[in-house]
Amino acid sequence: MISANTYIKPTSVSQAISLAAANPGNFSYLAGGTDLLVNKSQGNDHSAILIDLSEIAELKQVFANDVQLVIGAMVSLDELKTHPLITGHFPILCTAANSVASPTIRKTATLGGNLLCENRCSFYNQSEWWREAAGHCLKCNGSVCLATGGNKNCFSKFVSDTAIALISLHTSIEVVDVNGTTILPLESIYTGDGISPRQLAETAIITAICIPLNEGIRGVYKKLRKRETLDFTSLTTAVTLDKTGRIRIVLGGVHAKPVVVDGTKNNDPIALISQAISNTRIVDNDTYSRAYRKEMITVFLKRSLNEMQLF
Amino acid sequence: MQQISLKINGKFFHFLVDDHEMLSHVIREKAGLTGTKVGCRQGSCGACTVLLNNKAVLSCITPAVRCDKAEITTIEALAEHGKLHKLQEKFVQKGAVQCGFCTPGMVLTALSLVTTLSLKEGAASLIHQIKEGLSGNLCRCTGYTKVIEAVAEYALETCDPYFTKKAILANELKRAVGIPRPYLEAEKKVKGAAEYADDVISKNSLHCKFLRSVYPHALINAIDVQDALNLPGVHYVATGKELPVKFGVLPISQDETAMAVEKVRYIGEIVAAVAADTEEIAEAALRLIKISYHPLKAFLTIDESLNDAGENEKIHEYGKFNNNIHKKAELRFGDQQQGIRDAEVNTSMSFEFDGVNHGFTEPHAATASWDENGLTIITATQVPHYLHRALAKVMEIPLGRVRVIKPHLGGGFGGKSDPFPHEIIVAHLARKTGRPVRVCLSREEVFLTNHGRHPTKMTVSLGISRDGTMKVLDADMAIDGGAYGSFGVVTTYYNGVLLQAPYKLDNFGFRTYRVYTNKPQCGAMRGHGAVNSRFAVESLIDDLAIQIRMDPCELRMKNFLDSNTLTVGQYRITSNGSRESLEKVMEQSGWKARIGKMEKGKGLGVACGFFISGSALPIIWNELPQSVVHLKLDFDGRVLVTSGASDIGQGSDTMLAIIVSEVLGIGMDKIFVLAADTLLTPVDFGSYSSRVTFMAGNAAKDAAENLKKEILASVSKKHAVDSDELNLSDNRLFTHDKSLDLSWMEAVEILTAKRGAVCVSGKYISPKLGGDFKGAGAGLSPSYSFGACIAEVDVDMETGFVKVTNVWGAHDCGKALNPLAVEGQLEGSWHMGTGQAISEQMKYYKGLLFNNNFLEYKIPTTVDTPDIHANIIETIDPEGPFGAKEAGEGAIHPVIPAIANAVFNATGVRITRLPISAEEILEGIKKNK
Ligand SMILES: Cc1cc2nc3c(=O)[nH]c(=O)nc-3n(C[C@H](O)[C@H](O)[C@H](O)COP(=O)(O)OP(=O)(O)OC[C@H]3O[C@@H](n4cnc5c(N)ncnc54)[C@H](O)[C@@H]3O)c2cc1C
Ligand code: FES
Ligand code: FES
Repeated sequence: MISANTYIKPTSVSQAISLAAANPGNFSYLAGGTDLLVNKSQGNDHSAILIDLSEIAELKQVFANDVQLVIGAMVSLDELKTHPLITGHFPILCTAANSVASPTIRKTATLGGNLLCENRCSFYNQSEWWREAAGHCLKCNGSVCLATGGNKNCFSKFVSDTAIALISLHTSIEVVDVNGTTILPLESIYTGDGISPRQLAETAIITAICIPLNEGIRGVYKKLRKRETLDFTSLTTAVTLDKTGRIRIVLGGVHAKPVVVDGTKNNDPIALISQAISNTRIVDNDTYSRAYRKEMITVFLKRSLNEMQLF
Repeated sequence: MQQISLKINGKFFHFLVDDHEMLSHVIREKAGLTGTKVGCRQGSCGACTVLLNNKAVLSCITPAVRCDKAEITTIEALAEHGKLHKLQEKFVQKGAVQCGFCTPGMVLTALSLVTTLSLKEGAASLIHQIKEGLSGNLCRCTGYTKVIEAVAEYALETCDPYFTKKAILANELKRAVGIPRPYLEAEKKVKGAAEYADDVISKNSLHCKFLRSVYPHALINAIDVQDALNLPGVHYVATGKELPVKFGVLPISQDETAMAVEKVRYIGEIVAAVAADTEEIAEAALRLIKISYHPLKAFLTIDESLNDAGENEKIHEYGKFNNNIHKKAELRFGDQQQGIRDAEVNTSMSFEFDGVNHGFTEPHAATASWDENGLTIITATQVPHYLHRALAKVMEIPLGRVRVIKPHLGGGFGGKSDPFPHEIIVAHLARKTGRPVRVCLSREEVFLTNHGRHPTKMTVSLGISRDGTMKVLDADMAIDGGAYGSFGVVTTYYNGVLLQAPYKLDNFGFRTYRVYTNKPQCGAMRGHGAVNSRFAVESLIDDLAIQIRMDPCELRMKNFLDSNTLTVGQYRITSNGSRESLEKVMEQSGWKARIGKMEKGKGLGVACGFFISGSALPIIWNELPQSVVHLKLDFDGRVLVTSGASDIGQGSDTMLAIIVSEVLGIGMDKIFVLAADTLLTPVDFGSYSSRVTFMAGNAAKDAAENLKKEILASVSKKHAVDSDELNLSDNRLFTHDKSLDLSWMEAVEILTAKRGAVCVSGKYISPKLGGDFKGAGAGLSPSYSFGACIAEVDVDMETGFVKVTNVWGAHDCGKALNPLAVEGQLEGSWHMGTGQAISEQMKYYKGLLFNNNFLEYKIPTTVDTPDIHANIIETIDPEGPFGAKEAGEGAIHPVIPAIANAVFNATGVRITRLPISAEEILEGIKKNK
């Protein structure tokens, strides 16, 4: 049991994928490890094989072409702010990245890893002993959701902060797996099922994050948390407007996936907000109460729209 | 397993490591570089920060194999050829090092931060950048104030006028008392060289892990340890029956066993312990232990425990009552009925407080071993003396066979002041296996061990006359003690009795209960007992001031007790700096000009407090002095101070040296302190109830005066001068007219001639104090500290989010023997109080602690901590050493209600539950509309 632990550091995406394909069900890709290794220490990840992506040079590039900005998945959150391309075009992404964890963690944590950061719940992010004492919840092979006191659905929160900002920027991701390369809208990989919140092939690697340029997007990002650093989100909001008048509202922390509402400047902002709220599935699995988080959606969105002079 | 090579601090190492082993483990356990600390193992405290190819990383979540061939810099590398790095120097000078446990991580984070700082935008921006940059590094001692100053000064390289305070470093000082100086061991700490309990690695030691109950209240039917014992690498598996003797810190609450015997009383209680070759094997063994439980009805709240319980449902059998009440206390003074008649304006409110935890950064750790002298345990404890007694009792060995050694300690705040099960268990395992046995608790286990502040419910009423004179105070309270007694009986009394000051009250009474519940036990925590009740009273005063349209500061001023007076419960008040404290913070905060004139959402609040300077009565009744200090002066001119006092990061070793230095007129470089080793050092009762400066300080002063007498007598005899003619100062011994003028060494030569080393002793015994009614002893102290805080808050009226922006505090510590240390204690207290006010709470799910880690137990970080403005008020206490009294605990009292009163001032919402929640503020705002 103890000897089975393995760590491998491939130098190319294809090598990483073949390693993964050879070890189904028993590996994890390791990016910064700042999410994975904490989950591992709590016994929420049992993969014996860690496939470290940190030596793959192709995953660390940042460049722009005519239509999009491409950020390699292994670019660290801290590095984002050093690229004028990113700070210049997408300050909302920098704000989001800077709201993740702590400055030291951001030096290690990657953008790709953040997009795939595991969903969270007060009943799940606990030690093995704790979860045994609580009587395992759905997300750790139990039979009911403890947060709701018996529901058969898992409501673990989607907590990636950069995903919320990126979706508001209409971002796509490049994914490579055994079958080749695919480009997908970022939001499409999130299932809304708290137990398995992402639908990517097991061997899939996010290689790049592609943000469209030339859309004249501006936006506002906000995050609710008890302390102004370190803490995971209790509610993340991003609101953007592009040059054609498209509005996009994205919420995190209030559903097992990001909540996305599209509209235009011509829509009634209140209606957009109501629509966003009605798409959430908030339960009491956070330091803030369910009712409060729900109430804050309106406050945050009104403020954001206000700051953008849309309200 | 893989073979890796690391270049750590310039030296090449080859290690065989597990593929999933963390870098912190390799650095500490394999490279032996224990300067890197581990506070949480989950990336949420920053203590383990090291540089990996010059980039700061958290070594507790960095796989070691990932670092193969990399360059790693740990704290040990910073000082070159023994000379501190400039940044380390700043940390030392500024007093940014208290317990020192966060320091290595803090220094390395700061080092990697400074290269990125922009100095162009001025001081405020610089401070902002530093706060932001250090926001992942938790410190529980300093309130970050001095850390930020140190980093800012380093960044500015030269002393910017923005920071004016100067630390004086020289050891050759004319006077010792009153000079701000870093702790004696600050250099060692900032270099990562100071050894804490888990750093002292005994050769050949086994590792211990615990199996903990998953039920809040259950009978143990059977425990099967056979499979665990059969696992290769396991040396012993112990269960509760082997250690049946009960213990507890108070003689009246000996209700705990090292491991559960027959029944468990909280989720997390230890039921079995394994000693094995490695931590991993010990953990694997735990999974092989089979226990069958018979669950009992669990009592989880105060209300449940106040109700009658069936005979088999009682948490403890021994209680007098047919319920789970542990202790009731009631005291009445004056005539409350008359008081109510005299009061023209009354207010009454009910309050509820969640439990909070000490949150020290160093987890409990201990190593025990046995040899021809009996048991030796090296452990993170605040009270070696009581642990000494408990170990002798439970191990059933004579007191003379127990040696407790406290190494450097990473913060206590009351949470390391009971004898703990893990200490007793490793002693037992070491005896059974014949090997040293070590244990280091995980952060989750630290939270389960708890002993934090009691969850509390209370209803308090206060009546005043129209002119603002306090007429009557009544309090009715209940505290949730958790599963065992701990200090609880004292807490029960303190809740009430510590309301009889700082205001004059002729008619005062209280009734209090402590109940047992099936949760981790509560005990003593900074400000012990009175923090929550102080909050209540200060909130009521605020309310009454508004009712009679009087400035709340004025109302308080009007009611302060004087100096040299007795309280209604016969506390002897000597020095009293209440007024000066309040005046100071009013002036500094601009109170008069600003109060009532601030925009909605912004507000100021005020509160006052007081606290004991050591309990006048010992915990275990005996005739020993409260503290004894020995001094030895030998031919080399060095004075060795030995004391049982436990330096837990508050600076008591330095305090002892300062006092001896002052009395003998010699430099600190001639003084060496050896403390907290029950074999080598005379008894001091320990670091609790803010007693050390007062009691051990007085004992040290007494000892130094005795030594001085010896020196003067020998010189007087040799040179035929009158002793009264002789002075000791500035490292010299001279007559008034300087006709005789000897160096210290010459004097020492005279003293030690034909005699050798001279040993003297000094002691402190508290005077007889107090009344002769039952309960009169609670809260008696030879002296009391006083203080005041004004807090400023900025409340978001739409979200209810409270940002505490400023705390102005003043604290009467009698005399600041070391102003740098006193400021550090005050800043730390106000930081901790801010935490209890706005974010800290222990949350339970069916008796199971939810937030058992530093991510979910929300200690304020640099960016959540207000700007703290500390003021020392000196009143020169007649009995304190050089006039000193306590500064470590009392300061926390006023800050919490000051913040809540500021929230009221900002929003019109009265806070009656802690922590203050955004939800409730919003509700309140809506109601007021
Ligand atoms: C104290 C603390 C506070 C935190 N606060 C926040 C917060 O506020 N907000 C937040 O969002 N997160 C937070 N985190 C979590 C974490 O730090 C971030 O989510 C981080 O961005 C994760 O990135 P990583 O590179 O470390 O991912 P990893 O932990 O390495 O990986 C995360 C997951 O993604 C997979 N993965 C990573 N990269 C790829 C890829 N390219 N292709 C396919 N799969 C991949 C991994 O297998 C793993 O399942 C916090 C963590 C800690 C310890
Ligand atoms: S020990 Fe690594 S962050 Fe706390
Ligand atoms: S000095 Fe920072 S935790 Fe003690």
